[in-house]
Formats: sequence, C-alpha cells, structure tokens
Amino acid sequence: MSQRIVVDPITRIEGHLRVEAEIENGKIKDAYSSGTMVRLLEEILKGRDPRDAWAFVGRVCGVCTSIHSLTSVRAVEDALGIVIPPNAELVRNIMFCAQYMHDHVVHFYHLHAMDWVDVVNALKADPKKTSELAQSISHWPKSSPGYFSDIQTRVKKFVESGQLGIFANGYWGHPAYKLPAEVNLIGLAHYLEALEWQKEIVKIHAIFGGKNPHPNYLVGGMACAIGLDDVSGINAERLSYVKQLLEQAKVFVEQVYIPDLMAIASFYKDWGAIGGGLGSFMAYGDLGTNGYRDPSSYKFPSGVILNKDISKVMDVDLRKDDEVQEYVTNSWYEYKEGDKVGLHPWKGESKIKYTGPKPPFEHLDVTQKYSYLKTPRWKGHAVEVGPLARVLIGYARGREDYKAIVDKALTDLNVPVTALFSTLGRTAARGLESILTAQWGLEFYDKLIDNIKSGDKRMAEMSKFDPEKWPKTALGVGHSEAPRGALAHWINIEDQKIANYQLVVPTTWNASPRDANGQLSAYEAALIDTPVHDPKLPLEILRTIHSFDPCLACSVHLYDEHGNHINRVSVLGD
Amino acid sequence: MQLQTDPSKNILILGIGNYLMADEGVGVHMARMFETEQLPEDVDVLDGGTGGFHLLEYFEQYRHVILVDATLDGLEPGTIRLIKPKFYSDFPAAMSTHDIGLKDLVGALQLLNSTTEIHLFVVSIKSIQEQGIELTAPITNILPELKKKVISLIELLTLKQPVLSA
Repeated sequence: MSQRIVVDPITRIEGHLRVEAEIENGKIKDAYSSGTMVRLLEEILKGRDPRDAWAFVGRVCGVCTSIHSLTSVRAVEDALGIVIPPNAELVRNIMFCAQYMHDHVVHFYHLHAMDWVDVVNALKADPKKTSELAQSISHWPKSSPGYFSDIQTRVKKFVESGQLGIFANGYWGHPAYKLPAEVNLIGLAHYLEALEWQKEIVKIHAIFGGKNPHPNYLVGGMACAIGLDDVSGINAERLSYVKQLLEQAKVFVEQVYIPDLMAIASFYKDWGAIGGGLGSFMAYGDLGTNGYRDPSSYKFPSGVILNKDISKVMDVDLRKDDEVQEYVTNSWYEYKEGDKVGLHPWKGESKIKYTGPKPPFEHLDVTQKYSYLKTPRWKGHAVEVGPLARVLIGYARGREDYKAIVDKALTDLNVPVTALFSTLGRTAARGLESILTAQWGLEFYDKLIDNIKSGDKRMAEMSKFDPEKWPKTALGVGHSEAPRGALAHWINIEDQKIANYQLVVPTTWNASPRDANGQLSAYEAALIDTPVHDPKLPLEILRTIHSFDPCLACSVHLYDEHGNHINRVSVLGD
Repeated sequence: MQLQTDPSKNILILGIGNYLMADEGVGVHMARMFETEQLPEDVDVLDGGTGGFHLLEYFEQYRHVILVDATLDGLEPGTIRLIKPKFYSDFPAAMSTHDIGLKDLVGALQLLNSTTEIHLFVVSIKSIQEQGIELTAPITNILPELKKKVISLIELLTLKQPVLSA
C-alpha cells in the first residue's frame, strides 16, 4: 500500500514550499517538491534604476536579507566595470561572516535541532550527569549542575503553563529520537543560549549597514564612512565593538555549536547513510582575500563535483551561455521558444502561466507543471548547492583548512568520508564551515584595521555612479555563497535602466521540480529511500528537508490512500 | 541568561503584521500613524512587520512593549481587546498569519526571564485571504478608537498627561 504525504505551506513569513511524497513499505518511493508562491521580483525591477536594485532584492527574504543586496550590487558593479575599494570589500566580507554565523547557529538550534533533540525527554535528565557530560565535551563555562537544573525548572514551568509554546511542534517521544536525556538537556539549554546570542551578532550589520534586517548597501562600495574620531561614522569604539562581537561569536561556535553538533551526531550515525540525494554539487565561491574579482583568492572555492567523484572538480563560468540555464518544463511559466529549451539568465524570461489546480486543492497533478520554481541546471546536470557543496569542493580542491576540519570530524565520529553524502553530512557541513567563517571574520577584521591605519579611508568608488557615464547597454553578473548555497543575479542594463534581471537562488537549485529530461532536483532526490517510521509523524522527512535549511515555512499534511485528510502537523521552518 | 531592561527607555509601540495582506496589516498601519506624531521622548514606535525572533533585541530596551496585531477570533471585525499575555496560552486561539513568530517571541521572552511587560492590543479581522495595502471599512473605522486606546494606555503607564496635544 502506498501513502502520499503532503508537506504543504501555511502562510508564514518567507514563502511557500510543498512536498508530496509517496511512501511504500516504510520508505519514500517518490517525491515532488513545489513552490506555490510567485516571487517575480524580476518583473518589479524592470525599468528601474540599477543602483536601486539591491534595496528591492534584499526584500526577497527576511532571513537571508543582506546576501541578495550584496549579490545585486556585485552584478551592477560587474556591468559597469566598477572596482570597489579594499575597505568596502573587507566590510562586506565581515558582514558576510557575521551573517553566516547567525544563520547557521539559528538554523541548527531553532530550526533543526528539535528534529534530533527531544525537549520533553530533557526534563528527565539528571542535572549532575548533564554537567559532567557538558564539561567533558566543552570549556563553555555555563555547565554547572545548578545551571542545568535551573533550565529544567524554567522549561517545566513553561510546559505546565498549559502549552509547549515554541516547542509545540515537535514529535516528542517519537522512537526516532535517540539521544540520552542528558544530551537532550544540553541541546535545550543551548537552544535558549543561542536565542540570546543571535541578537548580538547581527549588530555588526547594523553598525556597517545602518540597520538590520536589510542593511544598506551601495553600488561602488559601502554607505558607511570611516572616521576613527567621528561620533556618527565608523569610529574606533564601533570597530572595537565589532571585534568583540566577532570574538564572542567564535567562542560560541567553537564551545557551544560544534561540541553539541558532534555530540548529537554521534547518536545518529545511521543518518550518515540517509538523504544523500544527487551526489552532484556546485559552489560559485566567495570571500576573496584579494577582492571579489580575484576568484583564485576565494576562501570559499568554486567548482562542480559530479556523481560523488571528489577526485575531479570542474570550473564554473556564469557568463557562458551553455553552463547555467533555467528550464520551465515543469514550472508555471512559458518561454517564447517553448518548454524544452533552457535559457541562460541573461536571456531569461519570467512570464507566468499558471496551469495548476485552483486553490485550495488537495493534490497537485505532478504529471503537469507543478511549481513556481524554475529548474536551473549546470551543463544539463542537476546539482545540490549549500554548505555540503562548499565543504566538499574545498575538500576536493585539496585545501588544507577544509581537510583539517573535515578529517577531524570524520575521525571523531569514526565514520567514512562517504558519510558526508547524507542528511547528517549536510547538517555537519554547516557546522564545519561555521568554524572557518568564525576565523575568517576576525582575519578580515584585522585586515580592515591595518588598511585603515595605513591611511586608506576610501569606502566607495563613485567615479562611475553617474548614469551619464554608463555605456548604452551593459551586461553584468554578481554571485555569492549565500548561507543556503550558490546565489547569482544577472542584469541587463539598457539606457540607464534595468532591461532584464534574473535571480537564480540556492533554494531554486535545491527545491526545483524535475527538468525536461525528468531528472530530479536535490530535495526530491534526497527524500527517495528515506525511511518513515510512522506516516502520521513524519519526523524523518523533516530531518532531510531541514538539513537543506529550506528558506520557507511548512506544515505537514497526511492523506491516506483514498486521499482523505487524516492528520496535519505544523512545522516551523525559516 | 536574563534579558536586561534598559531603564532609560520606557515604552515601545510595536505594530505587527503583513502590510501586503490588507486587514492583517492593521498593526503596521497603526505604527505608521504613530510615526508621524510627536510622542514623548521615552516612547518609541516600530513597524515590526512580520518579524519573529528578530524583534527580541527591542524587548530588552523597554520597560513596556505595546503590541498591536490582528486576530481571527471570530468576533465582530473591528473588535479591539487588550490582553496582557504572560504565557503562550494567553494568546487568542487564532492570531494572524504570522502568529507563530509572535507567539514564539513571547514564549522565548518568558524562557529568557525577560522583565519587559507586554500589552497586546488585538483587533478582530474577518479574513486573511485578501491581498492589498488598503484596510477594509470596519477596520479603517476603528483606527481612531484604537489610537485613543493606545494613547490612554501610554498615559496610564507614564502617569503623564496628555501624550498628544491634539
């Protein structure tokens, strides 16, 4: 008997994703991923001033915020041949590292940990044993028996107040939870610590970008003036505050996030063989130590790995017509040349043609078009983007910094390198690259200080800001490694206005529908063969989908073989 | 692990809602009305949008936060109620589309031993299905009354009168 589980959205903050999965003999046999909300910022941008685009695209999401703005100003700078000053590069990189740590920590504790940590079970833990365990895995000072027993009391009071509140959406007591009560309690305590910490690190965005979320960017550099003695500028006091926040973040990543990740992972090694999916990966690279325009200096290297073959990394060229292309074969759009062709984003079209069922509907007809996400491909290949792609590409490129952290994690967990191709590998990779970005953030900070001390106060290159100086037409592409994966914006400028603008975002690579050849994208592929112990409580689906850090909120609906609605569970995603 | 309240600031008026979802955005409309007013120095206004945990840091800066939000509680559209939610379960059964974010926020504040007092004005709305930046007539009509209630609460909390000269 096969059952269909529908993972469907309710209206939340960042968008809609729906996954329909067929379950047979306790495993997922087939899966379809659908985006049910239109983004279409591409159309909003047409005819506007290219220098304003960053402010619009930044609003594509309230979680990624600054990364779309960054990618946009890079695209425009590329089109106009603007080289930004070193200070602006460094400030952008520091903000980037801050965002990574914020995003990854919040994802781990607040959006993903409860797929592995059983909150209710944590109340049964022995605070003394928990304290001993915590002290054996980390130097983090908050680890006394009293601390843990206080957390228990507080959460107990909360639970006894009638509802589980923020913990109401868990499948507590599900047999797939394997952690001892003491590990659950550590996870729960650090959930709360992370909640406190996360509001600090984003202050870096407010310092350099004026506000958060959606800090200010500028075509040509950054809109913050260096003035060491200036009350309102980036002065010595604010810079030292940035350093303090970066140092605190590094401590939090190293002493809280990573020890927790490793402790939890050690009880879920079976998930090192589940949820692998495509086995093909792509990264555009980012964080140049010699500037964005010098890819050889990237801290995050670029490349493509196909079919789990880490002995070979291919190069990516975003300008070439036949590399990155988007298909609409199964998407609610129409191209002038029909459904079979793939278009490079500089020739991209965004004409909507909705042919799906009239909402509200029970099921999508997946034999027809079934998503508002287009289907991007690299030279025709379906690839996964995100932390796992970045870590594998860094590792495969032979980078010592990547090898050191990856090999240590594999040794500590006593798992083979193949365990990386999995749900667990994806979740671990996010933590591992957080160790790197915590170090890099401070490196970029030191460079910024050195550069300012050498007398360089330039923060923006404005000589080409005036549209009078632009060519009649210009093409640009800007890329970044967003926390969720490879991101790029392509822009066509004509007569000083945006003639075409295309965003190809990480979640589009990962969550897109099948392509013209029926190839699955990353989410769909990763769900195949995932075991589901109890279709009424599909915790396993959440583990795999959440391991991608989906940029959406979802709620799970379950239907029996007659299509009857028998259960519905809301799940908080971001 | 305790959110510290900065005693230099007193009250934050925090409007919550999705501005693009018609009546659902009533909190944001309210915040925008207050943004153009001359308020006492220790009273700030913030358009909180649909934000959840992002708003945590604002709570530590104020002694009182006056939240304004829409709710689908089945009452006559335009009904205004003042709630002092201490626990997650104190919220109306169906808050608006972003309910998870706001409820989570209050749950988190409680778990973090926050000392900020929350005053929640909920406005009953009929539907969250419509899109648009215009409020429907029943909601537009109660805006002056809602504003008055918020002002009265501020006056009560500050023991100063009057808040607005007009």
